[in-house]
Amino acid sequence: MTRHELPLAQGLSKVTGFALGPYQTAVVRIGFAGTWLFFLLRELPHRHEMYGPDGPWDWGMARQLISGNGAFTALMWSDGRLWFEVVYALAILSSALLMLGWHTRAMSVLFMIGVLSLQNRSIFIGDGGDNVIHLMATYLVLTRCAQVWSLDARRAARARGQALADSAAGAERAGSAESAGRVERADSARKAGRVDPVGPVLWSVLGIALSVVTFMGELSRGWLLIFWGLWLVHGLWWAVGRRAPHSELRKLLDVVANLAHNAGLLVIMVEACLIYATAGWYKIQGSRWQDGTAVYYPLNLDYFSPWHTLSELLSSNGLILLLVTYGTVAVQVAFPFTLFNRRVKNVLLAAMIFEHAVIAVVLGLPFFSLAMITADAVFLPTSFLRRLGGGVARARGALVSRVWRRRAATADRRQDEEPAEHARVGFTP
Amino acid sequence: MQAVPEAAAPEAAPESAPESAPETDRVGIAGLKLGYQIAAACALALIAVAACVHVAMLFFHVAPSNTLTKQHGDVVDAWVYPEFEQNWKLFAPNPLQQNIAVQARAELRTAGGGVRTTDWYDLSAQDGAAIDGSLLPSHTRQNELRRAWDFYVGSHDAQNRPVGLRGQLSEQYIRRIAYMRLDRERPGGKGDTIARVQLRSRTTNVRPPKWSEEKVSPKPVYRLLAWWTVTPDDLPLAGAEGTAR
Repeated sequence: MTRHELPLAQGLSKVTGFALGPYQTAVVRIGFAGTWLFFLLRELPHRHEMYGPDGPWDWGMARQLISGNGAFTALMWSDGRLWFEVVYALAILSSALLMLGWHTRAMSVLFMIGVLSLQNRSIFIGDGGDNVIHLMATYLVLTRCAQVWSLDARRAARARGQALADSAAGAERAGSAESAGRVERADSARKAGRVDPVGPVLWSVLGIALSVVTFMGELSRGWLLIFWGLWLVHGLWWAVGRRAPHSELRKLLDVVANLAHNAGLLVIMVEACLIYATAGWYKIQGSRWQDGTAVYYPLNLDYFSPWHTLSELLSSNGLILLLVTYGTVAVQVAFPFTLFNRRVKNVLLAAMIFEHAVIAVVLGLPFFSLAMITADAVFLPTSFLRRLGGGVARARGALVSRVWRRRAATADRRQDEEPAEHARVGFTP
Repeated sequence: MQAVPEAAAPEAAPESAPESAPETDRVGIAGLKLGYQIAAACALALIAVAACVHVAMLFFHVAPSNTLTKQHGDVVDAWVYPEFEQNWKLFAPNPLQQNIAVQARAELRTAGGGVRTTDWYDLSAQDGAAIDGSLLPSHTRQNELRRAWDFYVGSHDAQNRPVGLRGQLSEQYIRRIAYMRLDRERPGGKGDTIARVQLRSRTTNVRPPKWSEEKVSPKPVYRLLAWWTVTPDDLPLAGAEGTAR
């Protein structure tokens, strides 16, 4: 067959057969959900002032603005204080659960609803960081971002282990391991469906909630289509995976899910490139970026200088400022083009992540920086991410085993390897 | 013959497949029967077109005004707004080179029936003090007043006349922020109430770097807004969140 030789055919089977970048999408999921969760917890004491019905940007003002632009926010469904608290709590909960990868496909939708509801309610309280999270929250809905480093992956792995134990008698059939890798995902999803009743319950509850909202007439036609469409697709996926896990329909659904994932991943990557390209190309046109003093000015703005001595120190050396100013523009403009060269890309990536880490502290923009670092992380090499995941898993394993050992010392003799091994499952499914 | 699903070896890791994917035949669309293949091809075409259109729309949204957007900007806007709006001119083309402080004062109705005007409170300086030494500055300190003032300036002309609905909303917003912040200062004694609020901005140039020969005026420029009477709608703001840091 000549199909092997054709790059087009190879590419086709790749984008239809696999949800690419499992580690990259997982790190994006964890990063954005974690950043938003961290932000919501940090602003918990200020939540009424920022998004509440009686804040300076009150409910009526928001309604006037939103009736003009049609932005989506659940907070406009009621001006009640209780409703606001419920939405804020759900936003926190869905962020936490998305970060952990618990029923990820449903949580990603709820996460998007939470992000859009709060941000669109008060658009003048946000900054670039909020903007990045807003965009990525919508793109994440399209991705299969829980293939690794998630509770879903751990549950699937356990179901697989269970299935293996069940069919221990037919162990000799397992010889065809490498050719079977591609179908086991369907298999595991089915098994997970059988083991776990939470999925259908969650789906039903969300269906009822959606019905209520539909009946209230709060959703525009476009959003109705999106939410009901997602709900039906999730239900169809589950039903087919359960009733006919090896059918052609199931395989077709898998192909479509892969396509949506890969398109979502592509858009996430393009979005990150657009951010850098826009930021860089507009800077080039500015006189301060040309004369090498641009970085001096933010360091001397009261709103962006939480550490005066540090800012003064940095802004006192003209040569260093020139280097940082030119370096920033060069890196931002060049980055999209370096994607064609793995090594140069990685060097620039490291530089940008470092710069954002510095910005987090020096300019007092921690959440913006976290969001940008997460966007950068989608370009990190798989080998690095695997090592990172391994390191985190080991650290956690060590921590868990230490806790267990302490407990064991008080209780009685107890082997500490077991819990450590247990805890690692989610990270190395 | 390819492996039938029943022969699946369950221990194979899912993520091993995408990374080491040299063996590509019968995977994805190629592994489907003809009818399903057609359906998959349709999905592929649809998703590919949608992704390309979306990327193109985003590109024209962030690109400078050009031949295409001058003629078909409404199409781009219809696609991008409201959920995909974005602006990445971060500190570009030039970073802000002025410190803009928003200040406010109150007219109090005293318990004895008199009227007293307070001194100016520098609300931005209070924000700055709250941000100082903070690893996690709150949006209420870093963005609220700063962006509200930007919003006001952007939707008013030089004579402080509002432009459209946004102009009116921005006015209401900045005044409500000022009222809320002033109320937290407890400017009056017991029984005094804030009857009116006035705002002004104080713009100071950042002095150029010490090695630069540029000269900028060190004198601040003020912009004064009219007095505004507190309405019953604003009263819930008082006493709320008095501990914001």
